[in-house]
Amino acid sequence: MKRKLPLAICFIMGISMMVQFFIPHPVSLEFSSVIYKWIIVLMAFALVLAIGNLIRHHTTKIRRKSIDWQYSIVTLAGMVAMAIIGLTWGVDPDSLYQTIYLNVMAPLGGTMFALLAYYMASAAYRAFRARSLEATLLLASAFIVMIGFMPFGQYIHPRFPAFAEWVMKVPNMASQRGILLGVAFGSIATALKIILGIERSWLGGKE
Amino acid sequence: MSSDPWIWIGAVLTLMIFSFLYKDNPFYKFGEHLFVGIANGYYIVYYWQNALKPNLFEPLSAGQFIYIVPLLLGLMYFTRFIPRISWVVRIPIGFTIGWGAGLSIPAYFQADILRQLEGTVVTPATFSNPANGIWAVIILIGVVCTLIYFFFSREHKGLLGSASRLGIIFIMIGFGASFGYTVMARVSLLIGRIQFLLGPWLGFID
Amino acid sequence: MKWYDRITSIDRRIIYMLLTVLVILPFFVNVNIPQKIMPQTQRLFDFIESVPPNDKAVMISFDYSPQTMPECHPMAQALLKHCFARGIPVIGLSFDPEAPGLALDALTRVVHEFDSLAAGKDDSLIYGVNYVYLGWKSGRIAAQLDMGESISGVYPRDYFGNLIETLPLMQKVNNYKNIAIVVILASADYPIDWIRYPQTRYGVKVGAGLTAVMAPQYYPFVQTGQVSGLMSGMKGAAEYETLVLEHGYARTLGTAETGMNSQSMIHILIMAFIILGNVGYFFSRRGKRKGTHE
Repeated sequence: MKRKLPLAICFIMGISMMVQFFIPHPVSLEFSSVIYKWIIVLMAFALVLAIGNLIRHHTTKIRRKSIDWQYSIVTLAGMVAMAIIGLTWGVDPDSLYQTIYLNVMAPLGGTMFALLAYYMASAAYRAFRARSLEATLLLASAFIVMIGFMPFGQYIHPRFPAFAEWVMKVPNMASQRGILLGVAFGSIATALKIILGIERSWLGGKE
Repeated sequence: MSSDPWIWIGAVLTLMIFSFLYKDNPFYKFGEHLFVGIANGYYIVYYWQNALKPNLFEPLSAGQFIYIVPLLLGLMYFTRFIPRISWVVRIPIGFTIGWGAGLSIPAYFQADILRQLEGTVVTPATFSNPANGIWAVIILIGVVCTLIYFFFSREHKGLLGSASRLGIIFIMIGFGASFGYTVMARVSLLIGRIQFLLGPWLGFID
Repeated sequence: MKWYDRITSIDRRIIYMLLTVLVILPFFVNVNIPQKIMPQTQRLFDFIESVPPNDKAVMISFDYSPQTMPECHPMAQALLKHCFARGIPVIGLSFDPEAPGLALDALTRVVHEFDSLAAGKDDSLIYGVNYVYLGWKSGRIAAQLDMGESISGVYPRDYFGNLIETLPLMQKVNNYKNIAIVVILASADYPIDWIRYPQTRYGVKVGAGLTAVMAPQYYPFVQTGQVSGLMSGMKGAAEYETLVLEHGYARTLGTAETGMNSQSMIHILIMAFIILGNVGYFFSRRGKRKGTHE
């Protein structure tokens, strides 16, 4: 029951949605529309769970006075303050909520990703070695794209940008398409295994 | 230099995160934890305002009691925290996963397989422009050899081995192109931050 | 220490310093190198150009976060300027929870710019008539599919809490039949879901503005026509800004174009470092081999 019921629900939902795709009858469309609305609600609940987990993690850290527990107070205070501000005073473009988003959240998030440029430069310098034919091809292709798509590329040779475009449209596209097809076949196989109950890792637990 | 306190807050927080380049320090940790907290507070408002309130509680208040089903399914997620009935969380997970798996099969077939195979197949019409015809043949060879490279059920020997070797060449060119684009992407993010510091904060650029 | 070992062990702080200097320098040295427009950016621009004014709407899915703002935000603003200048109504929405703030910022900036240049009230952009922002919705694929039947079924209210049926634009736009194209501005794999699900089911046209990291993966979709046009990274944004300016839809270039010089300098720096590292590596290998033979 504890495993059979969820597996049965998974099977019924999977077969229903697969079959529904091919039936344009209004009843079928209405059925799928109702299910879509339920999924929207379910996804929202799943995200509520994620926030609950975060609160639990940080309150435990504060209670046990683990390493850097003081920063957990910053996290929880920030979360509560932002939620209260948004729910109380609204989310209009000129609201405090939007101001905090643009002047606190956006700079913090943006700068964290900006650090990647430094790490990438340092890593490319230290690790990117043309040790084999394959690595040399990778390097050459990267250089062609990096030069070809920059404005100065056309001054090295007028046809350089077109050559870079060719590299993207022919060999790159061929490999991306091969990978895309492989992933698609694998995804379909996995989806079928899930629906038929062969793949059960999502159930978790022993009982 | 800006006189807007919010710009100054943004600039100080930016420099706090940049300080990590020197080494990990309390300023960076503060900024990092503040980001996680504010982001989650931001999400709470949206989940309520844009998902739960208009798509669940308003229809229920309007008498559409069919929405009790997703409400119950959603509440089942929280049984995860009650060990005796924690197995109940499998029901909404099974519902969502079954829905997603069933929906994805025809979608992947149509968009990822059939349309992409259509674009790969070479016909006489492809050679109406001879250059395009040659590139189309190269693409066909590249796609087939890439797929062969990832076929591990047989040893890569003989013809299979040669095709696999050609496949890896195409893959390496593709990865190199991806690396070139990745450099472009990461550098753009840094340029954006520097533009903010030099422009709105310090006023050196427009 | 031999010279080839020295050049492979430059301190990372020197690399960081050089990177920072070369990003900042081009902002103070005004060099204007014209952009070469990539075919896929041109295709997206041409598609929007072909949409008749006051007819079907363009749907823009703002799905990027602050982390990728420098690439996608200029795309959003250039695209909005193009649509508004041509009289094409815009319906905005988001499926990334971090995107709505940026979507609102882009809309507010562009609308403000247009209204400041408007001759009178008739030329101004009016919320609910010329543009609507629906906000964020969870259950992305479910929402995208359900909008094929009815947008108001998924979004009973817009971002600001207005009932959808009270907005004049949404009285004309019921589902994808009234949408010319959906342009997804994304920092994650959102466009592929639009291709797999709504496009497969309802035939909706899809365009994309992507971070440069993701762009190579979408070339197969551009080739088959599943993606009608593509902006790739800051370069794509700069190209679209250039096209919008050249056609008289904007008065100034945006932030993406001004960042391209820094982009070029950093590319040269990174290539130089990679070459330096490889030269040191090869000479070091040769030196070790000579030492072994001796």
